[in-house]
Amino acid sequence: MVEKLIKRSIHEAENPIEITLREAFCVLEPKLRPPFPLTIPTQEEYLNLNRAILYGILCEPHLAKVHIKHLHGVITDGYEYFTSILVKIVIELYGKLVDSVKRQLIWVTHEMVDVSAVGYDGLLVALLRQIVGGDFGEENLWLCFEMVNLFSSKWVCLLEEAPLVLSGALYVFLRLLADHCRVMNIPKIESLRKMEIGFCVRMLREKFSLCLRIGRDLVRLLQDLVHVPEFRSIWKDLLYNPSAFKVDGFVDVSKIYGTRTSRWYFLLRVTPEMESQLRFLLTRVQFGSQKRYQVWFARKFLAVPERKAVVIDIVRFICCAHHPSNEIIHSDIVPRWAVIGWLLKYDLKHYVEANLKLALFYDWLFFDEKVDNVMNIEPAILLMVHSIPRYIDITHSLLEFLFILLDNYDLERKEIVSQGISTALHTLVSKGVVQSLDVLTSCNMLSPIFKERLGKLLSDWQFQHRKEFQTTNIPRGVIPSFSSSPESQTSA
Amino acid sequence: MEPETTLQPLKNIVPAAQNNINAKFILLDKGRVTLEGQYKTCLALVADETAAVHFQLWGDECDVFEPGDIILLTNGIFSYSRNNLVLRAGKRGKAEKVGEFTLAFVETPNLSEIRWAPDPNDSKKYVQQAVVSPHSRIFVPPR
Repeated sequence: MVEKLIKRSIHEAENPIEITLREAFCVLEPKLRPPFPLTIPTQEEYLNLNRAILYGILCEPHLAKVHIKHLHGVITDGYEYFTSILVKIVIELYGKLVDSVKRQLIWVTHEMVDVSAVGYDGLLVALLRQIVGGDFGEENLWLCFEMVNLFSSKWVCLLEEAPLVLSGALYVFLRLLADHCRVMNIPKIESLRKMEIGFCVRMLREKFSLCLRIGRDLVRLLQDLVHVPEFRSIWKDLLYNPSAFKVDGFVDVSKIYGTRTSRWYFLLRVTPEMESQLRFLLTRVQFGSQKRYQVWFARKFLAVPERKAVVIDIVRFICCAHHPSNEIIHSDIVPRWAVIGWLLKYDLKHYVEANLKLALFYDWLFFDEKVDNVMNIEPAILLMVHSIPRYIDITHSLLEFLFILLDNYDLERKEIVSQGISTALHTLVSKGVVQSLDVLTSCNMLSPIFKERLGKLLSDWQFQHRKEFQTTNIPRGVIPSFSSSPESQTSA
Repeated sequence: MEPETTLQPLKNIVPAAQNNINAKFILLDKGRVTLEGQYKTCLALVADETAAVHFQLWGDECDVFEPGDIILLTNGIFSYSRNNLVLRAGKRGKAEKVGEFTLAFVETPNLSEIRWAPDPNDSKKYVQQAVVSPHSRIFVPPR
């Protein structure tokens, strides 16, 4: 009898991948036992053989060792095709896989790392993405454990062959620890936490230059863990004793601030299904027709209270990993700021809401036109502007948070943050994301203190960069009307 | 091997006493389950990019399909069932879940909220006569 790959409910269509694999297995089953045929297969036969052996490995655990030996004997493409099907299975079917198949999947992943299979880095990334944030169920924690175990046990070869994936794993486990360190009374979480902390501390202490590849979001993640004893000394060194990390050229944490985090990292904390739904919402759904989709999304991903913390990662994804084309921006498709506004309206724990706003503004804090993309900072300003007047409390709370960040994010490097935010504001106007900040600075529903500070941020920036503007026409409305800097006399 | 059947956009379906509807749509909303004899039944709103229609779920379909599910209907039937004009799988048809979420839809027109009349040229066929309501009166679009 042929074992099943996935749990399928009645009235659910059969999955094409499963059909292909199962059919190959059924046809070739007699040839999957020793003595193995020695004839050289055609291309099509080779692909089918890969499919059949893969199905056997996943569904016949008691024969897995026979199948893998067979596989090693017939491979001619560095396991490239075999690994590519594994990746497909993880991305499209992981949630539906039968439990025993999941165990086999991890087992064969270890095997693929051991033989340096072509594309195994993609397989590791696909598996990391299947760890659901805020899910403390047994199955999810099991996957967490297996992945941190894999990364720890294959440390040496991963360092050599897939260092970027190791940095991705660091991103994932630092983020997961923020959730794992906040719960009590979950069985087995203590030992899992220990392993995760062990892996992260080892990366930070032994391979700091690799950790730096993450960029500024490394600081955002570490900040959430300063209350954890093992990270306290790392945090202290980061801020006050950077030479402890022994990386040439790393003399201050501000260097990390100046490195924009690549969008690839933000995909790691959003499952492929979530990604696909969010991208669909932001490319195919008309603004005004998104209500039903939002209900379905929330019911699927945000129903359990602990899982709501994923909104932090969703906001980072939307800002940095989904940049709509000009065509979409000028169409009537749901804009990014509207989706973020919807998430903000959820009943969120204080620290989740604060982290969501931090995620929204993070690239504002260190914005540098040479390094940063205006698309990362666009949703925040548009959310503030479009919330006037109907949702003025959102505009207010976001502005308030922005100034809290300006005043408190890094007390010893306030200049950097101030510079970042001013540059962000200037760029948003100069690139035409908003015509001017007048809509905020002239809004009589907003606190005068915020309006004044906003105006000052922009005029300070103009003053600092005055040389650039001496011979340039400043577009109308860029400089708030109550500014008294000399340059404002030249505005059109 | 089954031949590939062409799918009809929902705006083109016409009431008939035939199992001739093949369509792909997304389930928007589900009503309460009631009993018709010993069988569970439940009315639902489904839609594709062209139109919406009421779908009658039958038996375990009531439990298995949820809002957001993308359904492929083969050999379905669009006809009057107790004065309601509904799309359903019927005895000879099949409704299967093929995905979730990623299908665009409109809630207007709703083919079940149209008054149909026999075609003057062919009494076996129906044509649209009047719009009773632009959208479902049972599953009103969310604001």
